[in-house]
Amino acid sequence: MDRLQPPRENYANPKTCFFHVFFKAAALAFYILSALFFNSFVIIFVVTVLLAALDFWVVKNVSGRILVGLRWWNEINEQGESVWKFECLDQESLARVNKKDSWLFWWTLYLTAVAWIFLGIFSLIRFQADYLLVVGVCLSLSIANIVGFTKCRKDAKKQIQQFASQTIASRFSSTLQSAFSVV
Amino acid sequence: MSHGDTIPLHPSSQSDIDEIENLINVGPATVLPARPTSPPRASIPVSSSLFIPSNLPPPAPSAPAAAYQKAPTAVPPSVPSAESSRGGIAADGFGSPPNTLTEPVWDTVRRDLSRIVSNLKLVVFPNPFREDPGKALRDWDLWGPFFFIVFLGLTLSWSASVKKSEVFAVAFAVLAAGAIILTLNVLLLGGHIIFFQSLSLLGYCLFPLDIGALICMLEDNVIIKIIVVSITLAWSSWAAYPFMSAAVNPRRKALALYPVFLMYISVGFLIIAID
Repeated sequence: MDRLQPPRENYANPKTCFFHVFFKAAALAFYILSALFFNSFVIIFVVTVLLAALDFWVVKNVSGRILVGLRWWNEINEQGESVWKFECLDQESLARVNKKDSWLFWWTLYLTAVAWIFLGIFSLIRFQADYLLVVGVCLSLSIANIVGFTKCRKDAKKQIQQFASQTIASRFSSTLQSAFSVV
Repeated sequence: MSHGDTIPLHPSSQSDIDEIENLINVGPATVLPARPTSPPRASIPVSSSLFIPSNLPPPAPSAPAAAYQKAPTAVPPSVPSAESSRGGIAADGFGSPPNTLTEPVWDTVRRDLSRIVSNLKLVVFPNPFREDPGKALRDWDLWGPFFFIVFLGLTLSWSASVKKSEVFAVAFAVLAAGAIILTLNVLLLGGHIIFFQSLSLLGYCLFPLDIGALICMLEDNVIIKIIVVSITLAWSSWAAYPFMSAAVNPRRKALALYPVFLMYISVGFLIIAID
């Protein structure tokens, strides 16, 4: 089989990418456009926050795993302390993650947060405290995901370094072993 | 970046090298069988994908969760030998089913839904774990509280004949801010409680008030409303009591509990007074 990458690599998980973007875009679109159609703040609030919460769940549990192989969560251990766990796939799988997928993942994550910040500034200027509430909730959900996954990535880089140093250490010790066994 | 919240990375590499040597000597034949996934307690097991998770898996309690992909368990540095020993199993992390990192989406959905239900049962209904609050909401989640708060806001808003939006916004903001402030209150009183666990608990304890609000929405008689709200209020307070009181010093119990009751009572009044 041809070892060269085809010139245009396609998305490896189109459905996941779609859902990853869908809920974010739906929340933003609904929030922006709803003022034209709905007078009721309640509907705007509930639907926007629901879409943002669904997006948070999808990104954290589904697209994070499938698109970039990262996951984070919180556990409470036996001593009753809260422990945050960050996890990533092994080195080979990480290398095989589709570039387009991960590009899409990270960029949409950042862009959504920026968009919510803009909308927050707008509602601040217009002194609409209740819309600020909506924006605040959605923004905090986006930022939570960004922080979680960025921490995963940093840990991934650290693990790569450790893996490298351990492989070197193990090779070194195995050569020592073989050297001593020959003697 | 501070790792204050995370278990520090595994200890000196000397012990790691020793372990690697042992495995290299013993050879790939001693691969331990994979332990079963998903222990009943933790809904998300600590999985050791071939790579080292950034936190060392806690020694005994969640150790059962540590093995997937037939790699030697709980020995993170065994990467080199594990690779050779994995032989027939697909070489990529995406392909092995037991790892929750690669589970199908429906499994995740089902797992989360069942967690909501079990948390609800633990908090609101009588059960043997109530005396040990630390155990009860171990797998906290914020979906349940989210649904309950929104439901309460919607019910109140529906019952209101005027100013529906304000009612909803006020109800939501009061409950959300109230939960956060109550948690901070406990923390400032020197109590031992985990922030999200407490938020989760206070949200789940809203369930009886949700039922009360629903009944009051369908019922117009004020006397009946008062009775229903009092019963559900008592139920909510009974549900919240053990957790909050166990978290603080016994001499400060009242200081921690009083604001909780106050919040629920004010929500109760809101339910009765809405017309």
